[in-house]
Amino acid sequence: MPQPGTLGTVNEPVIELAGLRKSFGRITAVDGLDLTIRRGEVVALLGPNGAGKSTTIDLTLGLSTPTAGTAQLFGDTPRAAIVSGQVGAMLQGGALLPTTTVRESVALIAAVHRSPLTVDEALRRARCTEIADQKVAKLSGGQTQRARFAVAIVSNPELLLLDEPTAAMDVEARRTFWESMREYTDEGRTVVFATHYLDEADTFADRIVMLRAGRIVADGTPTQVKAIVSGRRIRATLPGVDETDAAGIRSLPGVTSLELRGDRLELDAEHSDDTLRALLGRFPALRDIEVTARSMDDAFLALTEGGAR
Amino acid sequence: MSVRYLLLETARQLKNARSLIFSFAVPVFMLLIFGYAYGSTPGLDPVTHLPWIMVTTVQMGAYGGMMAALAQAFVIVTERSIGWNRQLRITPLSGTGYMVSKVVTALIAGVLSIALIFAISASVFHTTIGLGGWLMAGLGLWFGILPFSLIAIMIGQFAKPQFAQPLFMAVFFGLSIFGGLWVPLQIMPSWATDVAKAVPSYWLNHLGDMGARLSGDAMQPVLVLIAWTVALAVFISWRYRRDAARA
Repeated sequence: MPQPGTLGTVNEPVIELAGLRKSFGRITAVDGLDLTIRRGEVVALLGPNGAGKSTTIDLTLGLSTPTAGTAQLFGDTPRAAIVSGQVGAMLQGGALLPTTTVRESVALIAAVHRSPLTVDEALRRARCTEIADQKVAKLSGGQTQRARFAVAIVSNPELLLLDEPTAAMDVEARRTFWESMREYTDEGRTVVFATHYLDEADTFADRIVMLRAGRIVADGTPTQVKAIVSGRRIRATLPGVDETDAAGIRSLPGVTSLELRGDRLELDAEHSDDTLRALLGRFPALRDIEVTARSMDDAFLALTEGGAR
Repeated sequence: MSVRYLLLETARQLKNARSLIFSFAVPVFMLLIFGYAYGSTPGLDPVTHLPWIMVTTVQMGAYGGMMAALAQAFVIVTERSIGWNRQLRITPLSGTGYMVSKVVTALIAGVLSIALIFAISASVFHTTIGLGGWLMAGLGLWFGILPFSLIAIMIGQFAKPQFAQPLFMAVFFGLSIFGGLWVPLQIMPSWATDVAKAVPSYWLNHLGDMGARLSGDAMQPVLVLIAWTVALAVFISWRYRRDAARA
């Protein structure tokens, strides 16, 4: 597979994980991860709870020590990259102090960095100007995440690691959040975000890395990942369809499954164009035809449940 | 770590009402109570050779300064429980830098608490000791709260969250009572006086008294307090490295 989603002209690796493994007692959270992420990529780490997303992010940042393998940022140790201000992050369980205002929180973090953005600039970029003087304890879920985003970007980092950044956000808040993120990635920076919102990974990432039980089960562009569970779904109405017809439909080219509900049929096909032509040739009475791409959810389920490859 | 960070960190802590109550309001309140009750007793305290009101003032200054330092334990426990220190770990601030910032904040809050007690004592009770006495008492107390800031770090950084509160209470009561910060040790049984010599708050109080009367061998309390500071720093450093290696 070609290196997908490489946006930047510079092919420099930003994150290099090699044979990364982390065990907590008998439980292996991350199980031999090899992953290279290059400058300018926007990568979604997608997986169900317990897939190892947060542990991977902690290991990448050097917040925990790998049982085996290495994590490098910008060709150096994670700590060196953090000290030089090249990395910003929104972590799981990395909350802001409830008694401080948003501005104070950002100013505190800015004060420990060597060449940060101005506090106002960080607030503006994270869409926090209006809530700057509110106490963190009084913020809504979405506002809190924006405030944390402001804290994450105040060092003006090259690389952003976001662990479920839009958790606790409503639809509107998520839209605003990704808008500010777009601004950020348009400048050619690297973003890695963990999510279990499939549509988010599909819409905002140009590369999706799917994790299951601490291993990578798929890695590619959203289109490539979806192609892994290739095919489309055809829905249509066929008045008076019976079991004989159904058997006929199943034998048509490319049909992988068929479900009947009264006159309504729903089938999955690998090559939907061929299937549809054959279907219409044989059943001219077919109507209300819909052809849809299988969603990320389907890809997700196929890859992460039970018989993953 | 920048001076700006230290100032912002101290300022945000001093704006927190809860820390003000225990480090500032309670010792002031106790100074007023004890001051009005016993402060006007004529003559000098036979143990410290200081006016009675000054004995109380030093006790409360020591208590306020000590509380301001110990309060860092709660600050650290809170930061750990909500994950603010995780946020700080992805900044150039090192683990040592983090702990140093808490010591600095403890010292700034402590000196403010001591100064407030002294100012109230001088203005409300017209406590008359020379300027030198005030200065040396203040400096002695200020220097003496250093090991308490390390006790706070030890509790805050390493105690399991559910044990931090009871541990803090035990330490805080122990230090206050055996240090003679609330009631003079001479009214307690003699075994208590023996225990007192093992706790740093006893020497803190002692150093304050010596400063106030500008006499006495300050070397002993200074050495004991330095020994406490070094021992705590060694323990914290060892424990911090061990925890980091296990992360």
